[in-house]
Amino acid sequence: MTIKAALRITPALLLLSLALVGPWIAPNAVDTPVTAPFAEPDAAAVLGGDQLGRDVLSRLLAGGRDLVLSSLLVAVLVTGTAAVLGAIGAVRPLVGRLVERTADVLMLLPAVLGILLVTLSWPDGGRFAVIAAAVVLGVPYAVRLAASAATPVAEAGYVEAAAAGGERLWYLVVREILPNLRATLLALFGLRFVAAVYLVATAGFLQVGPQPPAADWALMIRENSSGLLLNPWAVVAPSLAIGLLALSVNLAAATLAPQTGRKAVTVL
Amino acid sequence: MSHTRDRYAKPEGPPGDAPAVRVTDLTVTTPDGRHLLREASLTVHPGRVVALTGPSGAGKTTLLRALTGLLPAGTARTAGQVDVLGQDVFALTERELRTLRGTRLAYVGQDPGSGLNPRMRVRSLVRELAADRSAEAVTALLAEVRLPDDGRLAARRPGALSGGQQRRVALARALARRPDVLLLDEPTAGLHPELREEIAELLRHLAREHHLAVAFSCHDPTVVERFADDVVELGTPPPPPHPAPFTRTPAARSAPQSRSALDVRNLHVTFRGTPVLTGVDLTVAPGAAVGIVGASGSGKTTLVRTVVGLQRSTSGTIHLAGSPLSTGLLGRTREQRRGLQLVTQNPLGALNPSRTVADTVGRPLRLHRRCPSGEIRERVAGLLEQVGLAPVFADRYPHELSGGQRQRVAIARALAAEPDVLICDEVTSALDPDTGRAVMDLLAGLRERHGMTLVLISHDLSLVADRTSSVTVLEAGRVVESGSTVDVFTAPRHGATRALLGRYAPAAGP
Repeated sequence: MTIKAALRITPALLLLSLALVGPWIAPNAVDTPVTAPFAEPDAAAVLGGDQLGRDVLSRLLAGGRDLVLSSLLVAVLVTGTAAVLGAIGAVRPLVGRLVERTADVLMLLPAVLGILLVTLSWPDGGRFAVIAAAVVLGVPYAVRLAASAATPVAEAGYVEAAAAGGERLWYLVVREILPNLRATLLALFGLRFVAAVYLVATAGFLQVGPQPPAADWALMIRENSSGLLLNPWAVVAPSLAIGLLALSVNLAAATLAPQTGRKAVTVL
Repeated sequence: MSHTRDRYAKPEGPPGDAPAVRVTDLTVTTPDGRHLLREASLTVHPGRVVALTGPSGAGKTTLLRALTGLLPAGTARTAGQVDVLGQDVFALTERELRTLRGTRLAYVGQDPGSGLNPRMRVRSLVRELAADRSAEAVTALLAEVRLPDDGRLAARRPGALSGGQQRRVALARALARRPDVLLLDEPTAGLHPELREEIAELLRHLAREHHLAVAFSCHDPTVVERFADDVVELGTPPPPPHPAPFTRTPAARSAPQSRSALDVRNLHVTFRGTPVLTGVDLTVAPGAAVGIVGASGSGKTTLVRTVVGLQRSTSGTIHLAGSPLSTGLLGRTREQRRGLQLVTQNPLGALNPSRTVADTVGRPLRLHRRCPSGEIRERVAGLLEQVGLAPVFADRYPHELSGGQRQRVAIARALAAEPDVLICDEVTSALDPDTGRAVMDLLAGLRERHGMTLVLISHDLSLVADRTSSVTVLEAGRVVESGSTVDVFTAPRHGATRALLGRYAPAAGP
């Protein structure tokens, strides 16, 4: 790996690890006031106070872990399910048609409505209800993309040779097709991560999922929007964190995707 | 020739002796220090046809692609210069290079079918790049590459064309731009001899009449000898093919049965309502070598794809060693699939780009439990050696191999399964004569020692005459003649057979 590639992956790694260890390195408790409500930044609270005078920096450090972990989990589940379903659909056209028609129907469901449906019918689900909803809502989009990328690969000579040579469906999907979709799947992962952050944050903003007084970036934006003019950092900092997270993970995914080589060379 | 002379602008002024292409001492090296090309030189003058020959892996494709300013990914030019039409292609900007490739330089690759957009019809494919976009010009171009438009061909998509037809559509596309320099990688591979000569004749005609500089790589010595003005021989000598005795578990083979190894009865195949095969019969005795010949587009490839289960038939039966095979792959057992192996026509797509040669060749050994897992590495090296590849190839990826080397890996993979019936679709067309002969000797040896049955599809009629005992002639999806090879080739009864034999003098009276 080149230095350039390492530089492109570093922001994502830094941000993710900061979000993961954040709760332990937060300077103040996240649920006790240390300053005045919406106090401007000072020595006690570097990013000022929130609506109840709690330390914004501490809440920022503590509030990313659940969002990041949920979004990563959603992105992995969505991409993995879509990749396998798409590849199976490419090898077995009948299954493929079934999957695509089902996806078409599910896509008609608006995301916010879907989240509300799942979380209201499973009130104790908390974060898991949000994750389940995000996976169900994300797979239809991803599976269409994965299926269209897998179709030409499934028609390639080596997949036919493997099928004619007696390989089972699972081997065709996992060993012959998916490795050649790495670039597409990594790009898809990046996209689904952003979509997952968006969905999980929306759920947080709607107060389904994490409940106050828990620290959560999306919840912080909602709670503190009334004091935007008094201490803008209470809203801007979590917003920036969500935006940077989405950007840096996509940058890393694009860097990790293989650019050249290991593919049939037909440029002209 | 239906070629209208004024389609090409006359060259302004006499460029006279200035070469259109001049390559001097070009060396291309991979990051790990291997030379793909070593001090290669090439000069092509307008109006002349230059042939590039050399064993597979000698760098023919690399040299031709270097003329378009492209090198294989990860490799670098370490020495030498490439001048095309007075410009150093490696000094040009991306934009200038694109203009050069778009207007004055045409390249037709080894696998031209993959360069054709599968969604476009032949008509649009040719018109897309044409300098003259009228319908007559498209018809004239198709006629020029011997694809006379019967009213339907121009409306087809690449998927409905045979390999030979795709190749000619790609050539028509290249000519549509009216280039000054025409580069072709194996333009005659996989075509039947008559067509091969016509294409070669066409190249010479284009060079003479329109002052094109033509360079092509070719394995076929007769084409090179008859049609090339100059010959450039590339050669880093490859490891010599070394057909070692093929080891096989002795118990695997019982005495040859009296019933036929492969029996196809009344097979019908249609593509979206268009009949491709009509009532085809094929019987192959155990241990026999059978040839299937026919003009390009006659359904040879469809027949063998149906036999191995990659294409479903609409009616008809296929029996392997007496047991019926289902149409399509789903109803076939693993043992049935192992017993019937196909080596396909196009070596470029036949190997998984994400896996090394050793993985690819070793997989059938694991899957069909052909040998203990500890010995797989050794067996793979043995198989590679049999097809003339050094053991170092085991750790390479397909994109590091030339077309001929990939073809040999595909053959090794098919042999690893120890098939009862091996079907070879134009396996030698991507190989140089020496390697081709060594591979055919290997297959013949396996047939004699272990009773492997061989089905050969080839346009190379002398190969079919030498290597097969009986032959089936296909035309437009029907069997028009079949019988012993000697009888069919010396006394053809059907017009299509006579047309195929054409210039091939039946010196083959073995």
